[in-house]
Amino acid sequence: MAEEIMWTEKYRPRVLDDIVNQEEIVKRLKSFVEQRSMPHCLFAGPPGTGKTTAALCLARELFQDTMDANFMELNASDARGIDVIRTTVKEFARTAPYGGAPFKIIALDEADNMTADAQQALRRTMERYTRTCRFILICNYSSKIIEPIQSRCAIFRFAPLKDEDIAKRLRWIAEQEGIEVTDDAINAILYIAEGDMRRAINTLQAAAALGKVIDAETVYKVTGRARPEEVREMLKMALDGKFLDARAKLRELLIRYGLSGIDIIRQIHREIFNLDLPEAWKVRLADVTGEIDFRISEGAHEEIQLSALLAQFALAGSQIKRGL
Amino acid sequence: MEKNEAPWTIKHAPKRIDELVNKDAVLKLLNFIKTWKPGGKVALIYGPPGTGKTISVYVIARELGYEVVEMNASDVRDAKSIMRIAGSAAMQMSLFGKKGKIILIDEVDGVSAREDRGGLKAIIDVIKSTQAPVVLTANDAWDPKLSSLRSVCELIEYKKVRETEIIRILKAICAKEGITVSPEILKMIAKNAEGDLRSAINDLEAIARGKKTITKEDLMLLAKRDREQNIFEVLRMIFASQSARRAIIAAGMADVDYEMLLQWINENIPHHMEDPLELANAYDALSRADVYLGRIHREQNWKLLSYAMDLMTAGVALARTRSRFKFVKYNFPSLIKEMSKTKEEREILNSIGEKIKRRCHVSVKRAITEYLPYIVIINRVNPSIGEKLLKWFDFNKNEIEYIKKASRV
Repeated sequence: MAEEIMWTEKYRPRVLDDIVNQEEIVKRLKSFVEQRSMPHCLFAGPPGTGKTTAALCLARELFQDTMDANFMELNASDARGIDVIRTTVKEFARTAPYGGAPFKIIALDEADNMTADAQQALRRTMERYTRTCRFILICNYSSKIIEPIQSRCAIFRFAPLKDEDIAKRLRWIAEQEGIEVTDDAINAILYIAEGDMRRAINTLQAAAALGKVIDAETVYKVTGRARPEEVREMLKMALDGKFLDARAKLRELLIRYGLSGIDIIRQIHREIFNLDLPEAWKVRLADVTGEIDFRISEGAHEEIQLSALLAQFALAGSQIKRGL
Repeated sequence: MEKNEAPWTIKHAPKRIDELVNKDAVLKLLNFIKTWKPGGKVALIYGPPGTGKTISVYVIARELGYEVVEMNASDVRDAKSIMRIAGSAAMQMSLFGKKGKIILIDEVDGVSAREDRGGLKAIIDVIKSTQAPVVLTANDAWDPKLSSLRSVCELIEYKKVRETEIIRILKAICAKEGITVSPEILKMIAKNAEGDLRSAINDLEAIARGKKTITKEDLMLLAKRDREQNIFEVLRMIFASQSARRAIIAAGMADVDYEMLLQWINENIPHHMEDPLELANAYDALSRADVYLGRIHREQNWKLLSYAMDLMTAGVALARTRSRFKFVKYNFPSLIKEMSKTKEEREILNSIGEKIKRRCHVSVKRAITEYLPYIVIINRVNPSIGEKLLKWFDFNKNEIEYIKKASRV
């Protein structure tokens, strides 16, 4: 029986040339391989845009069969303390590269989750062992990396993937897997993925588990994510003053569909501009949505924050009705 | 008067199902016991004191011809003794004929985490292997301690007994005891009992025993019962407050912690604030309280807790500026069950995340949010592909069990 593995791994590009939509970056990384030399790097960009893949490809092309010995991948979210920097990272960085490799590489994924102390410790390690080891820091927000580290790195900004690039990749994977995907289904996946290739591929794989033909219905069914209409419906209920109904809908989205608060608030943000509202109100509602988005990242309970947002929509609805 | 007469709460205890109060709950429990099969859930019957929880188990058992094996708070309830008593009863079917047993573990919310070490876990173990229906009782089903139990329980709520119902029962007792009492006095006793039938009967006995008539003077004996304010009263006080101080003080009387209080307030804001402006302002205050709680959790900065309390109580209460306070029926927070993950659950999630991380180059956290849901879905819609995936990730037995359980929901 054939093995089944996650398609994100099965179809993760092996070589730099296969990386989608980051031509400029790929060109420069390839020149590093050719010259067998590179600076410390900072890869910044949204999730699922190929940052980790680029680091893996770069290391593979540079080291080839000595990759295991010369490349270390660490996830800063899980090992973000200063201890890891002082021990694991330092141990690896200070010893000479194997098999005639010009240097080693440490990829520090989700580096923006490192504490400031750990970043300070890292900065010294980077300087001290530059000859034997290069760092690739990977993050979503470069602003969370302290300046001294930024100044020691070549910064690469990974752009969000374009819908057509993701669509192309999905169609290619479907072909390899011998499955049929309708245009509707592709659009549904794109809506859900929001420029995140990883999520797009995971969604495709989950949908394919249902059968060989995938349409939009299948996509929504298996992902169990909110359909756009349901978020819209929830907002309409709130605007109509049916707050309790809207809140019940919200809970359904959170519990039954397992959506995260961040997922929901992003969908709310997009739906605002599809709603039949006075234009000026759309901007005001976008503003309160942004505020709640911020509070979710600061707060403890998504459900409470989103309920508060729905209460703002209910208020907006009543004021619009009264012509305010 | 006989010297060794049983107290009235026992002497006049109901004998038949149709004499019980909280009829809806009783019927649910009856049905639960009648239809129970090994491997089924456990009944958690909960409600304030004196609402007929324990007695209903005995009455039902008697009508069905079952034996009740009881453990209550006066027993030591560490893991060992629970396994010894309930465990052995749970494992063996009754030797005598087909009729079985009901295992009653009274007042599970009184099982102490410290003294009764492993007690709750032992209860869960008994539940897993039991050959007889298990009934748990508790005053507060939403006690965080019980979160791991709740998921395997069928919850049956016993409500406060209505005043008219209490009066009816007191009247019947008086008739049997040959006592003359004015309806007015019975009403006062019933009112004072606040839905607790047992305390009403105790009060009646205290003032009426050995008498043929009761006067208003006798009522002076009745002290106002001193209770910890229950959550409903606390909510009412908070929402009715027109001064910040009063709302904050009311919160201090609650018998629930701040997390629970936050959820109770969240649940019930819309019932008090129907005016859109009030609703939005009340929720804004709650939302900011939640922001403080987030900072407290992240930085363990407990100094901030009082600000969170200010906002969630006074902030919410004072949002009501235009409409009048009205009495509403309070709802239990509905999200509690979903939100509370047990420690075991978090540990297993973490180990699942670690395995995904090894394969897919992501952090544990992202593994859980970006991969696990899809793995679960694939297992749900196509178990044979799902199986292979689980193998590829090299999940162990516990991890697989967790994922499969999630995929059945």
